[in-house]
Amino acid sequence: MSASGSRTPPAHVLIVGGGGTGGALAHDLALRGLKITLVERGEFTSGTTGRHHGLLHSGARYAVNDRESAVECIEENTILRRICPGTFEENDGLFVAVTDEDMEYHDDFVKGCAECGIPTQELTRDEALALEPNLNPALKAAVRVPDATMDAMRMPLRFFATAQKNGADLRNYMEVLELVANQRVVSGALVRDQVTGKVGEIRADLVVNATGPWSEKVAAMAGVDVPISPSPGVMLALRGRLCNMVVNRLHRSGDGDIIVPQRALSIVGTSSWTVEDPEELDVPEDHVRRMYEEGVKLIPAVAQAEFRAAWSAARPLIGSRGAADTGRELSRTFKTYDHAETDGVEGFLTITGGKATTLRGMAELCADVICRKLGVEAECRTRDTILLPHTELFAA
Amino acid sequence: MSAQPQPSSDAGNSAGTAATASESRRLRVFRFKRGDERPHYETFDVPTIARTTVLDALRWIQIHRDRTLALRHSCLHASCGTCGLRVNGREALACVTTVRDLGREITVEPIANLQVLTDLVVDMRELFARFPEEHALVRESEFLPEADPPEGIEAFERYEDCIECGLCLSACPVVVTAERYVGPAALASAERVVEEPRGAEVANLLAWADDPDGVWRCHAIFECTVACPSNVNPAARIMSLRGTLLGRQLRAQRREERTT
Amino acid sequence: MPGAEERRARGPVLRKGLGPRPIGWLDPRGRSLGHVAFVGNRITGLGLVFYLYLHLGVLSMLLRGERAWNDFLGLATTTIFLLLDVLLLFGLLYHGLNGLRVALVGMGYVPNLQRALWWAGTVIGTLVLLAGALHILEDV
Repeated sequence: MSASGSRTPPAHVLIVGGGGTGGALAHDLALRGLKITLVERGEFTSGTTGRHHGLLHSGARYAVNDRESAVECIEENTILRRICPGTFEENDGLFVAVTDEDMEYHDDFVKGCAECGIPTQELTRDEALALEPNLNPALKAAVRVPDATMDAMRMPLRFFATAQKNGADLRNYMEVLELVANQRVVSGALVRDQVTGKVGEIRADLVVNATGPWSEKVAAMAGVDVPISPSPGVMLALRGRLCNMVVNRLHRSGDGDIIVPQRALSIVGTSSWTVEDPEELDVPEDHVRRMYEEGVKLIPAVAQAEFRAAWSAARPLIGSRGAADTGRELSRTFKTYDHAETDGVEGFLTITGGKATTLRGMAELCADVICRKLGVEAECRTRDTILLPHTELFAA
Repeated sequence: MSAQPQPSSDAGNSAGTAATASESRRLRVFRFKRGDERPHYETFDVPTIARTTVLDALRWIQIHRDRTLALRHSCLHASCGTCGLRVNGREALACVTTVRDLGREITVEPIANLQVLTDLVVDMRELFARFPEEHALVRESEFLPEADPPEGIEAFERYEDCIECGLCLSACPVVVTAERYVGPAALASAERVVEEPRGAEVANLLAWADDPDGVWRCHAIFECTVACPSNVNPAARIMSLRGTLLGRQLRAQRREERTT
Repeated sequence: MPGAEERRARGPVLRKGLGPRPIGWLDPRGRSLGHVAFVGNRITGLGLVFYLYLHLGVLSMLLRGERAWNDFLGLATTTIFLLLDVLLLFGLLYHGLNGLRVALVGMGYVPNLQRALWWAGTVIGTLVLLAGALHILEDV
């Protein structure tokens, strides 16, 4: 047993994957006194984490269909605002009903939010237009929710910065080539340092796979399978801040039903399809067109706004492939797989699924599992630890 | 070029085929690993479609030709500032620079004036080291001034324009010979705080900027403003700081003259 | 300056083999108007400093008496020399007018008009240069 204060060296955990999940996990475990090495083949958050539209989820989108996700989101939303002050555009969000069909969803929506603990404020058409003059004037009603905008990279970098300050060894530009495994025990990884081009080994007591949509690829290195469906979606960035609040369509999930303001840009998203390999994602032209078509229903000015970028990002959705074509029906919760239990392979865990907003919560769950496994008695302290600014990660 | 998409509705739409017609382009890429005596350039022929960006092309090279090519990217939409490069000698964000706009052969190099770590990746710590202590990420939103913020929110806020990409520092000819010059991004960030303090100590920032290697090292060349992908206009902000400092100095002198 | 020690310890910026080289400020190709203006200012500045020393050297001939001075005047009225005078006028006009622009912009007055000011200076300068050149080369 090793508790904080004992003289045995702290357990060493190697985290593979430098997205929000890996960063939050490194932070949580570093606070619990473990020795952490994190390896990321590119820049931190260069996978899915950096690419999303930047929504700090209120959970309202899931309030009717996926209560578990909704509750997770609103809890983490509140915590993140507390531990990352000054890192969000805290303008709240609107769910806007444009058609009669949308209005049929309105009451269920408000009720669902209430049951999930998501505060709402019902607004008339005129009240909504006073808040957001660019909204479709044909809108019928709106509901205000505690959405916010995050910088998809800079918010997670605060976790990295704090973890580094607390002793975690965070190595970007290090690619895992193979896992070191012997007789169904994983004991480290073979990595290539992109800075020098040289290959070397990193040994650890436990290896955690936090690679998002690449989870299956990395798990295969240990001979195990995780049911991850890389599910990409297209997003569109337009020049000009067409709204200050996040604007959502008040309906069950669909394509192009959110516009997230970010700096002086407006991000319209998103769509959904599934792929085998998250490595190279297309940007299908018809999806981009659909962003425009759906976006104008919320904010007509989308049609005239200057194009900035169109790109794809792959969500790591849990569920076996073949279960659904579009990936939307899959649960958005996160899971930790201890492969000793699920596959008889020791020393290896996968944490996957989840949303950008729930990174801290995912890490807490996984860190609890890890500490139990390693016999470390330490409580999670991430709910109340204020994070360092992201610039600290680059402090010499 | 890559795996076929399976979009949830109409594919093979005729308006799409022109956009997806593939053409080859040649990229000449700067390569350097620590321990090399000197950098060298490698040439790759990359299939491109209308939408392909320089970053897409570089990632294609990384996936299909050379996994050891080190790249920096994150948001893919000019918001994170990580993919700054010099493309044909000009500073640009790779994720929003379309290959087809650039000619048959394209030279790709890391940004200048910062130490190269590997290939196209530079050591950004040197950029951040130049920034002053106070460096706010959020400011009041000047967009849609006719809108009322909702109850409980005093004013709409938005992220600062500066995405810490370093293109301004790369473009500045002064930094080339005056390495200690703090640079446009750092000075612009100080001016933003002076413009909208949000509780910060403005006097500290003005003192920080009032340095031979601060605002006074700038030669009003304006390359930084031209290079900036995010409308920060650092040059104008530097001039504004100088105006403020001059004003304060003159007023202080006048006060001194009156009292002596 | 923050980070200066660490930067010096890490050694010089790896610049070999890439532009911009230390003389990189001189290369305005493909660069913006502000850069061209700056390069012009530096070159005319150097030229004017050179001319200043040259001028002092020339004036020192007065110390050598009337004949030396008259010989010099003979040289000074040749076509080549008069053309160089036009070049000098160009240098003075460019450096002076651009200098005004840099002063106005540099004190924070009209930074966003820097391009307009450059063109205004170019127009004024060209007109004065033409008038001056015509006058200088009148008897050639």
